[in-house]
Amino acid sequence: MKKLHKTVKPIVAAVFLLASTSLYSTGFAAEKPDTKGDAGRGAKSWVDNCMRCHNARDPKELRDDQWITTTYHMRIRAGLTGQETRDIIAFLQMSN
Amino acid sequence: MKIKSITLACMLGLVVSTPATAASELEKLRSEVDALNAKAQEWEEWKTPKTLVHLAGYADVGYSDTEGEPGSFNVGTFSPIFHYQYSDTVMLEAELEFNINEAGAGSVGVDYLTIDYFMNDYSALIMGKFLSPLGQFRQNLHPSWINKMASAPVGFGHDQAAPNAEVGLMIKGGFPTGNGTSNYAVYVGNGPTLELEAPDEIEMIETPGLNKDGDGKKVVGGRYGIFIPNQQLDIGISAATGETSIRTGSTGSYAYDTARSYDALGFDFAWRVLGLDLRGEYIKQEVGDQAASVAATGGEWEAWYVQAAYKFDSSNWEVAIRQSQYDTPHASVDRDQTAIGVNYVFASNFIAKLNYEINENPNAGQTAGDRVLVQLAYGF
Repeated sequence: MKKLHKTVKPIVAAVFLLASTSLYSTGFAAEKPDTKGDAGRGAKSWVDNCMRCHNARDPKELRDDQWITTTYHMRIRAGLTGQETRDIIAFLQMSN
Repeated sequence: MKIKSITLACMLGLVVSTPATAASELEKLRSEVDALNAKAQEWEEWKTPKTLVHLAGYADVGYSDTEGEPGSFNVGTFSPIFHYQYSDTVMLEAELEFNINEAGAGSVGVDYLTIDYFMNDYSALIMGKFLSPLGQFRQNLHPSWINKMASAPVGFGHDQAAPNAEVGLMIKGGFPTGNGTSNYAVYVGNGPTLELEAPDEIEMIETPGLNKDGDGKKVVGGRYGIFIPNQQLDIGISAATGETSIRTGSTGSYAYDTARSYDALGFDFAWRVLGLDLRGEYIKQEVGDQAASVAATGGEWEAWYVQAAYKFDSSNWEVAIRQSQYDTPHASVDRDQTAIGVNYVFASNFIAKLNYEINENPNAGQTAGDRVLVQLAYGF
């Protein structure tokens, strides 16, 4: 009963390596991320990302402040970048 | 003539008294405006505090009629989610799960409770009890207002083939990759435990998120996914490895058997094409043999599903179909299931579902009843 045992260790190592290498080349690269949210980019990110799992929520469902916590929650759930998060918040608050 | 005289007298009076009165009126007006501004700032304060508090969650109720059993109304689950966020630095997330059993008694559990530190734009450090990042269903699709069907696919329920939760440390995030984005999660945690089916078999792999690593064996794992927006395609691979052991006894006096290998491997995809929402997932957990254990033989718990859903344009109606299979070392538990459903989407977060499940046990001499499920699910 060791069919998986032989193959999983290298895959786990590869996932760790891929994540850390990519992080090194993007997260800590010279380019500093835009710190402000952009509603235009946010509209596209909202369409692209929200419906990966569920129906898109109407921007008018929540108050502006509630969209902040909701979108940061979704940053964790969906693996969004910080910039995508700020862009989506800007779009939702603008549309609210 | 009299009116003209009075008006003239008033105007003369005003002219005489204007400089002093105007200054006084102006000062009074300025004070009122300042007071109003202060009030307005107070009223706006709730919009921009550094600490934000938010209550979200979901709940579902329904009716279930299984072949050979009486139909029953039921309360599925009530799962409030608490969010406490300080600026863009840290967030506390906690999801509780309230349930009512057959006898009407209530219970409450903690689905997850984490403190998330947003380290930079591409990664967050998450510590506490979190939903297993292996695959998609358990971490993202199980809430009833998200799940297109009224039940989980076979093998993706609690303590089945798909790991449920973990207590440990995780780094999770995303970053741009060419035309898409990558998302990842890597973690180390207390791992699962094994339940013994007396006298010498492993009944199941339990993954509730153990709050104490009784056997001292940690598990490491993760998921790496790529999302391509212009194709609306999301694919991921998950894996975990470590050791685990059989736990016997009861709370406060647990005993742990000799450790054995534990591994998990999964693949998942989601693809939105031609108006269809297609998704599927495969997961397998395996525990190795251990000659020194009371249950020497290990086992494999394996499950997969594929699902298609279609929402008609300009309509609230949606149809869904799902095929799933669950294979374990125990013949009585194995399932093949075909589920078809019709949903009415009142709002993006409020859905009525009608499902028919064809359940079969592929092993000789075993049976499984078909089910009709009705569910109202609300996400808030």
